[in-house]
Amino acid sequence: MPGADKETDLSERIESFLSELKRCGSGAGSLRGSAETARETTALLRRITAQARWGNAGDLMEIIRKEGRRMTAAQPSETTVGNMVRRVLKIIREEYARSRGSTEEADQQESLHKLLTSGGSSEDNFRQHFAHLKANVIEAINELLTELEGTTDNISMQALEHIHSNEVIMTIGRSRTVEAFLKDAARKRKFHVMVAECAPFCQGHEMATSLSKEDIETTVIPDAAIFAVMSRVNKVIIGTQTVLANGGLRAVNGTHTLALAAKHHSTPLIVCAPMFKLSPQFPNEEDTFHKFVSPHEVLPFTEGEILSKVNAHGPVFDYVPPELITLFISNIGGNAPSYIYRLMSELYHPEDHEL
Amino acid sequence: VTRLRVKPGESILETSKRTNSRQLPEEQPLLQAVLVADSFNRRFFPITKDQPRALLPLANVSMIDYTLEFLTSTGVQETFVFCCWMASKIKEHLRKSKWCRPTSPNVVHVITSDLYRSLGDVLRDVDAKALVRSDFLLVYGDVVSNIDISQALQEHKQRRNMDKNVSVMTMIFKESPPGHKTRCEDDDIIIAMDGKSKRILHYQRAQALKRLHFPMNIFHSGSDEFEIRFDLLDCHISICSPQVAELFTDNFDYQTKNDFVRGLLVNEEILGNQIHMHVTKDGYGARVSNLLMYDTVSSDTIRRWVYPITPEANFADQEGQSCTHSRHNVYRETGVSLGHGSQMEENVLIGRNTMIGANCTISNTVIGANCVIGDNVTLDRAYIWNRVHIADDVKVKQSVICDNVEVKHGVVLNEQCVLAYNVVVGPDITLPEGTVLSMHHPDEEDDEDDDEFLSDDNDVGYRKDKTKQKVFNPAEVGSEGKGYRWKTSSLEDTEEDELAECIWGLVLNADPESDSESEVSEGSHDLGSHPASPELDDVKVFQNEVHGTLQRGLDENISCDNLVLEINSLKYAYNISLKEVMQILIRVVLEFPFHQQGAQISTAQYSSHLLPLLKKWAPVFKNYVKRPQDQLDCLASMEEVFLERETHWAALVKVLMSMYQLEILEEEGIMHWFNQGSTTDKSQQLRRNQGLLKFIQWLQEAEESSEGDE
Repeated sequence: MPGADKETDLSERIESFLSELKRCGSGAGSLRGSAETARETTALLRRITAQARWGNAGDLMEIIRKEGRRMTAAQPSETTVGNMVRRVLKIIREEYARSRGSTEEADQQESLHKLLTSGGSSEDNFRQHFAHLKANVIEAINELLTELEGTTDNISMQALEHIHSNEVIMTIGRSRTVEAFLKDAARKRKFHVMVAECAPFCQGHEMATSLSKEDIETTVIPDAAIFAVMSRVNKVIIGTQTVLANGGLRAVNGTHTLALAAKHHSTPLIVCAPMFKLSPQFPNEEDTFHKFVSPHEVLPFTEGEILSKVNAHGPVFDYVPPELITLFISNIGGNAPSYIYRLMSELYHPEDHEL
Repeated sequence: VTRLRVKPGESILETSKRTNSRQLPEEQPLLQAVLVADSFNRRFFPITKDQPRALLPLANVSMIDYTLEFLTSTGVQETFVFCCWMASKIKEHLRKSKWCRPTSPNVVHVITSDLYRSLGDVLRDVDAKALVRSDFLLVYGDVVSNIDISQALQEHKQRRNMDKNVSVMTMIFKESPPGHKTRCEDDDIIIAMDGKSKRILHYQRAQALKRLHFPMNIFHSGSDEFEIRFDLLDCHISICSPQVAELFTDNFDYQTKNDFVRGLLVNEEILGNQIHMHVTKDGYGARVSNLLMYDTVSSDTIRRWVYPITPEANFADQEGQSCTHSRHNVYRETGVSLGHGSQMEENVLIGRNTMIGANCTISNTVIGANCVIGDNVTLDRAYIWNRVHIADDVKVKQSVICDNVEVKHGVVLNEQCVLAYNVVVGPDITLPEGTVLSMHHPDEEDDEDDDEFLSDDNDVGYRKDKTKQKVFNPAEVGSEGKGYRWKTSSLEDTEEDELAECIWGLVLNADPESDSESEVSEGSHDLGSHPASPELDDVKVFQNEVHGTLQRGLDENISCDNLVLEINSLKYAYNISLKEVMQILIRVVLEFPFHQQGAQISTAQYSSHLLPLLKKWAPVFKNYVKRPQDQLDCLASMEEVFLERETHWAALVKVLMSMYQLEILEEEGIMHWFNQGSTTDKSQQLRRNQGLLKFIQWLQEAEESSEGDE
């Protein structure tokens, strides 16, 4: 039976994606960039939409929510996956609303009274069947995929507006977005980059090698020297793992130090973050916020006797509060941290915040 | 010296030819693994009486799941799980697990047999069933690891492509210097290796040896880089070529990997097989070979050394299992409740729906699902499995508490206690260090695994004295307790020390005084398998082997020619002189009826059993007794045997008579022996035996008459 075949094929794909998610990130950050994760998640969700059995939008949303929960549980620190699930859910809502003939605007701007009284009743409305819904949703997801493809380019295109000649830029660790951003600027302008090495994983070393290959003047500094060097720095440009709902960051270890030093010297701190990193999560959710990896880099396994006498931890992320951040540069332009809540409501439906 | 027994009619050359003929070049074969889900020892007794070792929970997940996760994440696509002890339980577990779902990237086949007694048996079966087609991974079902072996795999392939089939195995080691807590002293090894090619030249288990010997020839190997390393931890993961299985078939006395490695290294020049090694610096790999290792590996898992295989990852994908990780490595599953004032200090994992009372202090501890723990309980390095009830005011230090155990009010468990399944302890009792309690009485140990070192003969005798008391001893388990004490490691009884060491392994950094003691017990349980000191017992072992051969010859009706062949090959294997062979042969044959019928048989029974045997094996004797000197030796050893058994002297004459008739012995020989000046009183007595005198007389007469005929 071809139908059954399709389904086993689909669940096989989901399983392999899940196990890959679980395994990714055995080192410091993820093995693949989060852009790739976002694309893969969206492609998988498109496949689910195309191949799973569903009669109406309600069913489809239920399926996607269920798989989305499993995917986020597989690697809680990879928020991109959950974000993409929410984006797709939002797409389904919009397409459903359009098929019914109501405008997006009406859905978007409900009155306070309606918000209070409606409760979960909007769910019931998704039971109607539309023949074109599937094709429309898939097309919308395709658009989302195209958008994802272009994010890094869109961000690096804005580089020339922010980086000027003979500036000293500081960054920390290795972010693919920042790397592309700096390289783009380097085509026109000459500037100096200081890279904090980001111990113990030292992704900063890779970043510096990559930048110097493009003939950018690059200096690697130890994390301890961040404050000392900060007085010479014109701008701090960093990447992040997640942009939180309050406009704060969940970024690689040491970023908070960097942000505080920048604040002290009144150096602007610019965060390059594509929109898919925007998560409705708040920093108070302790359990999923942290990620601890093997303490091997902190205290090597070969140390021997001392290991039984001490506890070594290998945390990966730092929290950076929004008041330390000057500007976010995303694929849709620059925004202040205080504007994040607005972007959030544009991208995700409030009912989807909790999957 | 490793034995190399050759079956009759098969020469070494033929076997090695067969090894090379089976290679099929394949482009991208799928990666296979052989997982041995049995330890073939009793280290975890009495816990493993109820549950096989591979299913014991480590940080609330069965050990075999760690191994399968490791294999799957390294890209293994097909795994053969071999089980023996409690195979049905392992099978059931795997059937329910995610590995047997149709979506699993790693196809798991379970192969069970009650006949597996060692790793060797398993690999011989792999060969017999032709399961592996290309290089495969060999692991035990209790290995916890996150090592990325793809590099080692590639190196292995390269070596094999470069030098056609010379390298048969790559062993994975983890660098960890002496004194590391994850190093288990049982497993201490010394390796001599070629620094450039990573070839292993010498492999030896150190095990508290004070002096080490290296064969000279390894220094002549022509390499200028040479390393001797003692900082390696054997992860018990090896990449094997299909030849490994074949080599096990060809050498049917290989039991363990240790036998195999040493055998291969010794015969390297003959067979041309090499073993290489791969040392990993990052990545974690260890085998849970005793409870001490269980303790360290559990704590390493909780301290996230095995990342990404951590408790909260729920890699086994069990339904309803989800875990949160908070600071100081505290893990909680769903439904955990913690009473007022209780503290989870650090490195704690608590299973779902477990209730913990007030004012408890918990550190470095794993607690399973559905446990109830009372107030004012102190747990440190405790490993508590599922559905355990612990009452108020209990203190536990470094102990293992299995499923469904009840620990009553006020109990104190000191270090290294084990409470096996369903035991009840207390109230108000303090268990001394190293107490092992089980619902199984130590006497009811079935003897099916008698070949293991734990049940030596003198032990059995000791136990038989103690009549089977089925009453629980309140002094051992408390007034309301249920369970029998197995053995304690109390200092006054060195014999009992051994078990505690076995189940917990050797204690690291043991006091210098206790060193000698541990050495003694080491030697005693490793006899036979320990390669360092076999010379001592070669003759004895040879005698046993000859006995076994003859017994088999009798049972299976093997022809005398083949018996001679087997005895000859044994002679070479143990380096026994021809004279000794004959002496031993005579001794074995003369004592044969005692072995078969018991030592108490009468002289008449004895001779009636012996004489047909002599007749049957006459060709064997004739093969060894040829010259007059042989006859004298033969007679001398006969005398020796009979001197030990005064009561059966009457049989001597019958033996002599029949040997004479079978033309094994000649009259000159017998006369010479008889007239030889005997030194001891006893042998003179023997010669004055009535029957013997008569026989000699008859011989003389026969001689004279034959002379007269001439």
